[in-house]
Amino acid sequence: METISPSHYLFLALCLFSIGFFGVLLRRNILLLLMSLELMLNGINLALVTFSRTSLNLDGSIFVFFIMTVAAAEVAVGLALLVALYKKRQSVFSEDMNLVSN
Amino acid sequence: MVQVALSLLLLPLLSAGITLLFLRKYGNIAALLSVASAGGILAFSSFLIFGKDSDQIFSWSTTWFQLSDWELSFGFLVDSPAKTLLFVVSFVGLLIHIFSLGYMADDKAKARYFGGLSIFMFSMLGITLSDNLVMIFVFWELVGFSSYLLIAHYFSTDEAANASKKAFIVNRVGDFGFLLGIIITYWTYGTVNLQELSVTANLDPSLTSTMLCLLLACGFIGKSAQFPLHVWLPDAMAGPTPVSALIHAATMVAAGIFLLIRIEFLFTVEALKLIGLAGSVMGLYAGFCALTQRDIKKVLAYSTLSQLGYMAAAFGLGLPGIALFHLMTHAFFKALMFLGSGSVIHACHHEQDIFNYGGLRKKMPVTAYTFLIGVLAISGVHFLSGYFSKDAILLGAYNLDFVIFSILYLGAILTSIYMFRLYFLTFCGETRSKSSENAVESSVFMTAPLIVLAVLAVFGGFHSLYPAQIVEYLLPDISRVAEMPHHLWMNILGLFAWVGGLLFAWKIYGSDTQSKDPLELKAPSLFQLSTSKLFFDEVYLFYVNRIQDPFFRFLEVMELLFISGLMVRGSAGVAALFALLGKSFYSGKIHHYSFWFVLGTLGFLAYAILGGGIS
Repeated sequence: METISPSHYLFLALCLFSIGFFGVLLRRNILLLLMSLELMLNGINLALVTFSRTSLNLDGSIFVFFIMTVAAAEVAVGLALLVALYKKRQSVFSEDMNLVSN
Repeated sequence: MVQVALSLLLLPLLSAGITLLFLRKYGNIAALLSVASAGGILAFSSFLIFGKDSDQIFSWSTTWFQLSDWELSFGFLVDSPAKTLLFVVSFVGLLIHIFSLGYMADDKAKARYFGGLSIFMFSMLGITLSDNLVMIFVFWELVGFSSYLLIAHYFSTDEAANASKKAFIVNRVGDFGFLLGIIITYWTYGTVNLQELSVTANLDPSLTSTMLCLLLACGFIGKSAQFPLHVWLPDAMAGPTPVSALIHAATMVAAGIFLLIRIEFLFTVEALKLIGLAGSVMGLYAGFCALTQRDIKKVLAYSTLSQLGYMAAAFGLGLPGIALFHLMTHAFFKALMFLGSGSVIHACHHEQDIFNYGGLRKKMPVTAYTFLIGVLAISGVHFLSGYFSKDAILLGAYNLDFVIFSILYLGAILTSIYMFRLYFLTFCGETRSKSSENAVESSVFMTAPLIVLAVLAVFGGFHSLYPAQIVEYLLPDISRVAEMPHHLWMNILGLFAWVGGLLFAWKIYGSDTQSKDPLELKAPSLFQLSTSKLFFDEVYLFYVNRIQDPFFRFLEVMELLFISGLMVRGSAGVAALFALLGKSFYSGKIHHYSFWFVLGTLGFLAYAILGGGIS
């Protein structure tokens, strides 16, 4: 059986990032947009941890903690905004949030 | 002395300022203020003329502003010609202010009128006292402005509105030449100060040129309404009659002659000759036009043009003192006649057609007899003021230049004809209209100035009656003419001119009771020619409408196409195109934003990888 190499982790990280990326680009539900954003962050986190591990340098791992903290804060704010928006608009779809008239 | 001169200049300005700022609604107070300031002007100017050291030239100047090494000064120069004009302006000015009290008594916009008069006095005194050409030019424009204001006093009528515009625009044409002349003077002499100019010009007479003189004389041609810019003065009669007397007869139009006298030392022989000839032709031409005018004021306006031509001719003959002498006597008798016509117009409820007057001598004796004195004076009847100054010009011309003399002499005969025509039609015979039937003599405000001016018109020619300070400038030229030969011959010719004119006018107009001009029946072609005024207005209108306007329309199209079209709209169009592009990004869809964000990131990444590889 093939051993799991760093490139497998990086591939998984790329998959996670891409799923998140296309989620952000294509989904219309804002809740799902937020989740996709988280997914992209986690893909990056995974890549950072992998590089940190292979280069035997803890900087990357430490950076990941910061990213997770910021992400948690961001989600808290994002969800709160979403709830407020939902109350106002009775919808979670991004096209209903459009204020630009065209 | 400086304080006196400054207060003299600022008094009317102050009066005008107060009137126009605070007294717009209080016509009577404004009128009194204006008359009081005119009285103050007379007091200050007599102090300036007769005060101590009055036998010397008073000059004073200070820096007005400075641009690196170019300095413009503000200063006064009260020499002998300035004293003469100062006397005329302040004295005649005061009389006309008093007359205005009566004439404008029922006017609704009295305050505006008297404010305008004060502005005019300010500007006119400025011209009189200025010691350099730039300052003269500033006040020159200010008299033009106040003349515009006052001609347009009855601005609700088209006639007055158009006349004021015409006066202003025609004056601008002359002033443009004047300004060029001032610039060339500065270029040539390095100064515009009159005293320095006269010193430099006398040291090196070769510096000046005919071109320079003629450009400076453009100012005179515009302001004194000489050929070819004479068209504005007859129209300017649309203003109130005292204004015509003050501005368009006695002072402002005479300022042109005063300007010539101020810069007399610059003139070359050729320029003098040209001005003399043009002036004498103007004297004849205006007299010819005056023959058939029906409007009492227009007859007087053409007569003013003609007399200004006489002054220009005298100047051109090299007799500036005589020109100033005639300016002074003309100011008296012409102001007298204008005020007399104002009195008539006032009494006849603004009827101005002389064929609608008649028989007014019995109804308005004071006006009639003072007017008669004016007519006699201008016709050159012996020993009245006009005789001395006009016959001095004629005698000078007879001895110096026979061509000018013969033109002027014809003009003198015409003067006497049209003046007696005016008198006979207005004051003699039977009444020809309702408005003149009910005429009564005007109030004392109007008759008193008439009487004073009539006295001056009778005795104003005896130069020995004046204080020496006033006539100082006139004396050398007067004695020069007095020593010329042919006095007796000239007296006979002068007698023939006025008696001939009188008899001719009496024969044609004396017994007339028609409302049609008898000359029209007797000599229709001559009449037509005279009423056409030799087509000057038509030629100018043709030029303006057919040549100038199409050219401007062409320029307008070019402007629309290139400046407004290509440059303004064009650059706006380019900006709008960019705006459209930028606007298309602003869709409000979050997916578009994230897409462009990612694409941008990828772009930077690609640049970082590929572009970084090059270095």
